Amino acid sequence: MRLNNLIIKLAAVGVSFSSVVNATTVEYWTVQTQSDRLQTIEIMADVFEALNPGIEVNIIGVDENDMAKQIAAAAAANTLPDLIEVGSELSLAFAEEGIVDTTANTEVINKIGKQRFYNGALGLVENPDLQEYVAVPYSGWVQGIWYRADWFEKAGLAPPTTWQNIEKAAKYFYKPEQNQYGILVGTKADSYAEQCYTQFALSNDAGQFNKDGELIFNSNAQKEVLDFYKNLAQYNPPGPQTWRARDYYLQGKLAMFFYSSYILDDIALAEAAASSLSSENFKDLKGATFDPNLAKHTRLATTITKTSPSSFGTLVGLTIMKNDNKEEVEATKSFIEYMNEKDQVVAYSHMAVGGHLPMLRDIAETDEFLNDPKGIFTQYGKESIKEIVAGFDNIRNFSVVDGKTFPKSGEIFAKQIIPRMVYQATIENEDTQKSLDWAEQEMNKVIAE
Amino acid sequence: MIGVSIQSTGEYMTPLEKAEARFGWKLVAPTILILSLLILYPLTYNVYLSFFDVQLNGSKTFVGFENYLKLVSNPDYYAAIWTTTLYLFGTVVGTTLLGLAMALLLRDPFKGRGLVNAAIMLPYVAPVISVVFGWQFLFDPISGVVNYLFVDVLPIWSERSNLIGDPDSALWVVVIFDVWKHAPIAYLLILSKLVSISSEQYEAAAIDGYGPIGRFFHVTLPELYFVLATVVLLRLIWNLNRFEDVYLLAPNVETLPIFTYYQAFTGVIDQGLAAATSVIQLAVLSVFIWFYIKKVMKW
Repeated sequence: MRLNNLIIKLAAVGVSFSSVVNATTVEYWTVQTQSDRLQTIEIMADVFEALNPGIEVNIIGVDENDMAKQIAAAAAANTLPDLIEVGSELSLAFAEEGIVDTTANTEVINKIGKQRFYNGALGLVENPDLQEYVAVPYSGWVQGIWYRADWFEKAGLAPPTTWQNIEKAAKYFYKPEQNQYGILVGTKADSYAEQCYTQFALSNDAGQFNKDGELIFNSNAQKEVLDFYKNLAQYNPPGPQTWRARDYYLQGKLAMFFYSSYILDDIALAEAAASSLSSENFKDLKGATFDPNLAKHTRLATTITKTSPSSFGTLVGLTIMKNDNKEEVEATKSFIEYMNEKDQVVAYSHMAVGGHLPMLRDIAETDEFLNDPKGIFTQYGKESIKEIVAGFDNIRNFSVVDGKTFPKSGEIFAKQIIPRMVYQATIENEDTQKSLDWAEQEMNKVIAE
Repeated sequence: MIGVSIQSTGEYMTPLEKAEARFGWKLVAPTILILSLLILYPLTYNVYLSFFDVQLNGSKTFVGFENYLKLVSNPDYYAAIWTTTLYLFGTVVGTTLLGLAMALLLRDPFKGRGLVNAAIMLPYVAPVISVVFGWQFLFDPISGVVNYLFVDVLPIWSERSNLIGDPDSALWVVVIFDVWKHAPIAYLLILSKLVSISSEQYEAAAIDGYGPIGRFFHVTLPELYFVLATVVLLRLIWNLNRFEDVYLLAPNVETLPIFTYYQAFTGVIDQGLAAATSVIQLAVLSVFIWFYIKKVMKW
């Protein structure tokens, strides 16, 4: 009897051992590097593994700014992951390099249901030549100008939705002697500067390509944008500026700043704001404690208008990379389908409220999504959140012109040409026309390759 | 040793000696093989890559000298060379002089010398990332303590400034940071030689009528010559290739390694161009070191 039991146990161990040995592994690189977010993804993956014996999901957090380098190194070493979670521009750039399995991505989108995705979101990841998709849209955020509505009201200023209003307010609130600044636009050569700049450029219809795919970046409209941007940057805190805008705003030093909808919780919740404040070390510094009324006094202007209204956002997609192992590709496909089920989409969205807006229309409109556990959406109003998400039907960036996607734009983004141009013009005080000429030359190099 | 005996005796070796020499080569063969694999192969492969346009999926197109031409026709490349020259000059002179000054001051034993030594070594042993963030927070234009002190508490400056971010001051902040962080190693190397100079030499010089300054130039400095030359050489090699300190503290200071990074590794990697840049850098460094060792260190 004992022997029989032992044999059964051994057999069981053998079976489970062999299933581990023969397991198909899905290596999944995510840009969610914060430990709490990684934990949430781990739990979702654990459930998937339990439901799909024989598939193992290996999650690796990679810093957003390192993703391109890490993928390059992995491609060179022939150790590409099966699945990556990155912004649409990078997916387009990787597809151009021939390391993305566009067929598999398209199959997953068709299986989930093409009509369920926001149109604009699908447009951002479409390869027009192949009529295939380079990623499965998963989440997104929109950007805008966050501003102190109470200060604006007191000063009798209109909301910062037009160039004129923005400039007027920036000038009015710029009081460096009081350590207070009118606005913060990105001037350090990184992706933050590109995000701020792009929204202004699109609001003046100053694109990168025309609909025939010709580079039209160096235009009069673009010069207007860069001149305006340079002018605005003088109301910034001193020196090159970037993401620390969030900290400065929470400390009460800024009237306006660019940020994505990621910041909803930082403004509303003391514990989320804590890392930006320094009350423990500098008790006497003004604005060093959490302002519980800040959420009430803060508004978001998502649209900027000059010649046409522009809203800007980023789409993050799940991209299946090229792999000769068919089993791994199939396992990756079923993992993405699983991640697009309602429970997973909602859980993923709620781990960064406002930063991970769902890309499936039917889920974004449900109460499960709108009732986030911390009640942040309710503070801002469900209708306005629905409006923000629905912006993904018309989302714009440089890579899409009249519904046509230009993958070269993804490579231009990856080369950080616009941020470096912005840095030259604003911080090195280079002539705007010269900066534009330089950027055009660099863009032409990318196109020629 | 075996190599030397073959060279010196050549064809006059006895059969036994020849057999021994062959045996010697067999003994060192595994080492040569491993070293070749580890050093020569990547080096050669790098030179090979520099003539290709390399796609991420592994396909290569031969482009001849195009990568090199791209590099030398880029005006930013020359700006980077100039920045590197200033950076090298500032850091090498700064660390050597500071290291020498500290070593001279702390040569004679005194109470608490161990503690002072430990304090001096701290910047050198602290992890780069933590000290860089420390410096960034100190110099932050809005909530940093430097601006707080100089603008709010002691109104010495009329307005807040961003010393690390401002391109005019960034290079000098990076130089000062490097001197602060790496002077301890210069100090350590110089001190170890300094304490071994015999006191008799100083006595003899004093009898010859030299004062403290004369003794420094005629005894201390000649004795320290090789140590100082080594410190300078090591600092030059390290700092020509130094990336992390500069990039983390002020990425707008484009020294050659930072330039290479922006050229080749921003966005989609350009392996051909990166290889070409490193080949040129290696060639320049090798020639420089050869010249320095022959002429300055007289080996």
